Amino acid sequence: MTATAAALLQGASTDFLRNHSPFNRMEPEALSFLAERAVLGFHPRGSEILTPEMGVPAHFYIVQRGKVQARQTGAAVVTEYASLAIGPGECFPIGAISARRPSTNAYVASEDSFCFRIAADDFLQLMQMSPAFHLFCTQYIASLLNQSRQQLQTTFTQRAAEQQTMTTSLGKLIKQAPFAVSAESTTREALERMNELQLGCVVVVDSERHPVGVLTQSDLLPRVILAAFDLDRPIGEVMTANPHQLGASASAYDAALEMATHGVRHLLVVDAEGRLEGVVSERDLFSLQRISLRQIRAGIESAADIEALQRASKDIRQLALNLIAQGIGAEQLTQFISALNDALTRRIIELALAQHDLAGIDFSWVAFGSEGRHEQTLSTDQDNGIIWRAPEMANGGQVKKRLLAFAGVVNSHLAACGFPLCKGNIMASNPELCLTLEEWKARFGSWIREPDPQALLNASIFFDFRVLYGSERPASQLRTWLNKTVKGNSTFLRMMAVNALQVMPPLGRIRDFVLEDDGSIDLKKSGARLFVDVARILALRTGVDSSSTVQRLRQAAARMGVPAEEVSAIIDGFNFIQLLRLRSQHLETEHDAPGDNRVNPDSLNELDRRILKEAFRQARKLQLRLKLDYQL
Amino acid sequence: MTGWLSRLIPSRSGPQPLSARAAATMEQWQSLPDVDLARAHYETRYTVVNTEATGLDLERDRLLAVGGIAVDCGLIHLDAACYEKLDPVPAEALSALLGLAGKGPLIVFNAPFNRGMIEQALLQHLGLSHAFTWIDLYLLMPALFPERFERPVRLAEWMASFGIETFQRHHALGDAWAIAQLFLAAEARALSMGLSTAPALVEQERAYQQRLKI
Repeated sequence: MTATAAALLQGASTDFLRNHSPFNRMEPEALSFLAERAVLGFHPRGSEILTPEMGVPAHFYIVQRGKVQARQTGAAVVTEYASLAIGPGECFPIGAISARRPSTNAYVASEDSFCFRIAADDFLQLMQMSPAFHLFCTQYIASLLNQSRQQLQTTFTQRAAEQQTMTTSLGKLIKQAPFAVSAESTTREALERMNELQLGCVVVVDSERHPVGVLTQSDLLPRVILAAFDLDRPIGEVMTANPHQLGASASAYDAALEMATHGVRHLLVVDAEGRLEGVVSERDLFSLQRISLRQIRAGIESAADIEALQRASKDIRQLALNLIAQGIGAEQLTQFISALNDALTRRIIELALAQHDLAGIDFSWVAFGSEGRHEQTLSTDQDNGIIWRAPEMANGGQVKKRLLAFAGVVNSHLAACGFPLCKGNIMASNPELCLTLEEWKARFGSWIREPDPQALLNASIFFDFRVLYGSERPASQLRTWLNKTVKGNSTFLRMMAVNALQVMPPLGRIRDFVLEDDGSIDLKKSGARLFVDVARILALRTGVDSSSTVQRLRQAAARMGVPAEEVSAIIDGFNFIQLLRLRSQHLETEHDAPGDNRVNPDSLNELDRRILKEAFRQARKLQLRLKLDYQL
Repeated sequence: MTGWLSRLIPSRSGPQPLSARAAATMEQWQSLPDVDLARAHYETRYTVVNTEATGLDLERDRLLAVGGIAVDCGLIHLDAACYEKLDPVPAEALSALLGLAGKGPLIVFNAPFNRGMIEQALLQHLGLSHAFTWIDLYLLMPALFPERFERPVRLAEWMASFGIETFQRHHALGDAWAIAQLFLAAEARALSMGLSTAPALVEQERAYQQRLKI
């Protein structure tokens, strides 16, 4: 075929594409790659272009003219839109084709439409060759993540609604129709019914159901029993007249104030015409008291004993549920949990210090592992240690003995507050982990020099350290020393990389996910860990001081010149996995089952499943980078 | 010299021998089997052909350039196209067009002129007279889309009706690009009417033409 003709047609198509995002930002070579492979087809109004039943999409479509409707199929609507119109210059499918799985949408031409299309393999190649197109696709995936978060919010709003707040209107708090009698009823009759219905009070109303009085259980002793009141006389004679009442639109807070002001335990709720709607008791309001971050924090800081801290620990879990309900992201959520757990640990240490005289001894209480990374979830056991320095002229052995005794108490108190003792004995009360700065350097140094499997495992736990109590200085000295030492030891980094690549993201070739024997995916082992391990290596290599995975990725990427958008997509993936972990832990602990990190992908909704897959793909991308860097 | 005479009398330089490439193309074309016209649109390769001439008079005007775009199995591949000026070697240009079209059905807009121009040129420069299947969208379009236009209208009006644009009007390839897009729509409509083969299109066009004459 003549080159000029092809060039003319491709030029015309390129001009069209150039008027639309993301093609207007695409590199010229990528754009001509696209134009050379694009094929134009026609889809009459009402015809299906792509449906889930067609399996893995063979083509990527760009609407040239007309309109295509994307409709979600299946019973549940998984994104914020039920259907979406795709017009000229817009393209589909992105998620399905990059993940090589069937589309979740049905794409139907809603007008006579012309669409360019390229083969799926060309799409993937285009993504590789064009950073602009790649960015467009990753941002699209990120927007899916956003939608999922919003949806998570809705899921939890229902739970949140059950735990109403003090701003809830009284009308919504009424649990049952009130029991009311007329003033002429006999007292016996009223009390019998009250007993039968197990009520705390009986309301007396007039013929139009306006409350005229109330008799509560606590009135019975003084007014009825002790006064030997004749039960056959009308209740009107013994009731409290002019009972306290509030409109149904008043808030729970108003009711609490009214009760506190007048010293009553029951309030009558009336409608706009003053007719009785129900009764609210003091107990109804108590269950509404919500725990706030500030309250927990204050509770922890003023706790006088372990019992108080145990209560605070329960409150932390409750708060985490509320925060998930508010749709807060995993990064902030784990930070909140970390912050509160840090405060809890500090208070435990302070309480222990009151009974252990460590005056003159310089020590820092250090957290390792997930706690060291600020990534604690709700089922993390304790990993901690001590860096200490003996005062001059002191007997080191004696000092260490005192520190170990103190650490033993802290460890057991932490266990009492919901941080299980570490099975691997990674605890400050272990003499091996209560070391001076020089001793820590020697230990770390030995792992770096001889990176056998145990040493690598140790590195993956202990290199993620931060100070929870005491001076930051020895830890930052240790960090500086560590970064410098590792930087000069490429063999060690390479071994770390080999180790990090041992676990692959559980993405299947045929099915979406590779599952464990019980049909689930371990989100810790084959999810979060993939990101954490690579982030650690990148941080060590580029000398990043932070111990948090997200910070490590961000800072290392900046130093390596990786585009911020690309690293954001990776971080989104990591955060999504963390959020799923928290969610499953939380839902489980509510049923008193031990929280774990497993999720059954079939139990996820379609959107979450898609995103989980994208998240694993980000992990794979991250691993691939490491593989290339170390030629593994 | 009148137009028709000039076309019958060989040009001054006499019949030029074909270049090796054109000769190979023609040889290959000759050896092609006849196209199976019973095939459905989505298994058939149609070629939209279009011309540029010195004017619109078949007798007097001269073919300047040919444009062609293949519509293969219901799709337009942007690299399956040709645009050839007849000068300086008309046979070369025409063999390129044949190379693109093979012996498959040809699509034109306004057959009397375009078909006439091309058939004359093939005969004159390649000595070729082949019974192609010709389909004229000028007649077929109103037959398929009476809700848009009941009577035959100009290309510009069909383009406007479908919102079709092209990079250059009155250019052999530029108009062919618009015609090819129209033909995509025509194929889809024809299929929904049960007209699934090229002969069915030809028959529909002929029946429409009969109706017009009544």
